[in-house]
Amino acid sequence: MPGTLLEIRDLKTYFFTEAGVVKAVDGANVDVKPKETVGLVGESGSGKTVTALSALRIIPRPGKIVTGSVTFDGEDVLAKSEEQMRQLRGAKMAMVFQDPSSSLNPLYTVEKQLSDILMLHRKLSKKEASQRAEYLLDLVGIQAPKTRLKAYPHELSGGMKQRIAIARALSCEPSLLFADEPTTNLDVTVQAQVLELMKKLQHDLGMSMVMITHDMGIIADMTERVTIMYAGRVMEAADTKTIFHDPKHPYTEALLAAVPRVDQRKILEVIPGNIPNLIEPPPGCVFHPRCKYAKQACIDAVPPLEEVGKGHWAACVRWKEIRLRGV
Amino acid sequence: MVIVGFFVFVALTAPWIAPFPARSYAGLYSGAAGSPPSWEHPFGVEPSGIDVFSEVIHGTRNDLYVGLGATLLTVLIGVAVGALAGYFRGLIADTILGITQVFLVIPALLLILLFARIFAVLVFAGLGLTLIVLILGFFGWSGVTLLVRGEILRVKELEFVQAERALGAGTLRIMFRHIVPNVLSPVIVVSTLNIAGYILTEVVISFLGFGDPNTSTWGLLINEGFTYIRTQWWVSFFPGLAVVFCVLGFNLMGDGLSDALNPRLRE
Repeated sequence: MPGTLLEIRDLKTYFFTEAGVVKAVDGANVDVKPKETVGLVGESGSGKTVTALSALRIIPRPGKIVTGSVTFDGEDVLAKSEEQMRQLRGAKMAMVFQDPSSSLNPLYTVEKQLSDILMLHRKLSKKEASQRAEYLLDLVGIQAPKTRLKAYPHELSGGMKQRIAIARALSCEPSLLFADEPTTNLDVTVQAQVLELMKKLQHDLGMSMVMITHDMGIIADMTERVTIMYAGRVMEAADTKTIFHDPKHPYTEALLAAVPRVDQRKILEVIPGNIPNLIEPPPGCVFHPRCKYAKQACIDAVPPLEEVGKGHWAACVRWKEIRLRGV
Repeated sequence: MVIVGFFVFVALTAPWIAPFPARSYAGLYSGAAGSPPSWEHPFGVEPSGIDVFSEVIHGTRNDLYVGLGATLLTVLIGVAVGALAGYFRGLIADTILGITQVFLVIPALLLILLFARIFAVLVFAGLGLTLIVLILGFFGWSGVTLLVRGEILRVKELEFVQAERALGAGTLRIMFRHIVPNVLSPVIVVSTLNIAGYILTEVVISFLGFGDPNTSTWGLLINEGFTYIRTQWWVSFFPGLAVVFCVLGFNLMGDGLSDALNPRLRE
């Protein structure tokens, strides 16, 4: 599709473990347009993170991309050499990880961690890099950047560490940023600040963002389009408004029903059961064992991703028959 | 720390602070041979006329040389092999680990005694202490290797390693700039304890008479004094005391370092 920055098509990433092949991502499709924020939603273990790691080609062993294509900025990512990938990572595509306390190396100062990348990708001199590091700290809203540059990660709070991780990911002004649950380990007030910051930076730098989360609140707040994943497959994809108001997949409905709301007094609905075993996923639709609308047809065949409305895709055989509740 | 500092100081300045040169039979001619501790000979004199005080000081130098040298060798081999074993997977790692385990089960002291005898006679005559350093290092690295490998496997899974990859760092850079430095603190602690262990081993070797009889070491001195322990106790007693304090010092330093380097105990 023209005008698309990142295009992931039918991606399958499997982990070849001794217990069997874990199908962590089993046919994912994600599109990201320039300057757009796309949400990637799903429970733990639904393949959101692995999809992002696959795009950067940093899947930990024994994981491997089996089939599919990843196109970034018109180029085939999977065909690139490791050397070319290294030049891409951090410079054009960057990632912010979940746990700020472990995503910084405890042995080096903030300045060193920031200027390292700048010297690597931008070939800046040590002095220029350190100046830009200071500027970046200021950009992510850290007070007294000059003194903080000399700090070690353990001297900083979780929120500050995550700001620094963001600064580091943005240091070379990438056109695409993967944010892997960047606020899960922060407390709520800091969470709001960090999200606000990311929104602002994304706007200022004009980059695209893939927001990986299981928090529907963040999705509503941050994203323009959403892809819902479950057990390594895409269940539904649409623009954020449509997902919330007019879901076409029972899993989306169940996710929305599990979100606490201030305007309604009701008991939260939980989705019964757990995410399936990814070595031997259930036949047919992977969600059928937990789906209250499941029928024989759901077990017989894997439902294809169908266009159910303009730019709205869902993988459910019964989408026409059932009426789902949004919010 | 103070104890270790004291021993290191003595070792460094041994040639200047010892009243008599190493293995000097001066006492034989002055008539002091076999005399008990006195102002002139604080630790007494051997029946052969050797001043025990000077000998203990020279021994400090030699024993620390063995302890530090062998530990350095152990750490060099151990870290290099451990890093390889931690980095590679599959056949290479299995092979390295297999070899490591073989070295782990070898009763090192027996082989050391054997090799010390054979090589001392055949090849390295006169090499003395350096030979012991080489043998100790060659048979001692496996523990460090296992430690380093285990730590590397742990650190490798930490999120910042993946973060570095996501930022475009290459394999070598990640390994040597990010993983290995994070592994070093337990290695430092273990090395300190190793130094004490090696000094003890050297004492055992010399005491059993497998060392170089022309080099002053604590073990040799204890060995010589052992013959006249009923009459001239000071010949064995003072070097023995030195061994006890030195080993104690290194062990305390090891404990201290382990506390200091443990981030959970750091304020």
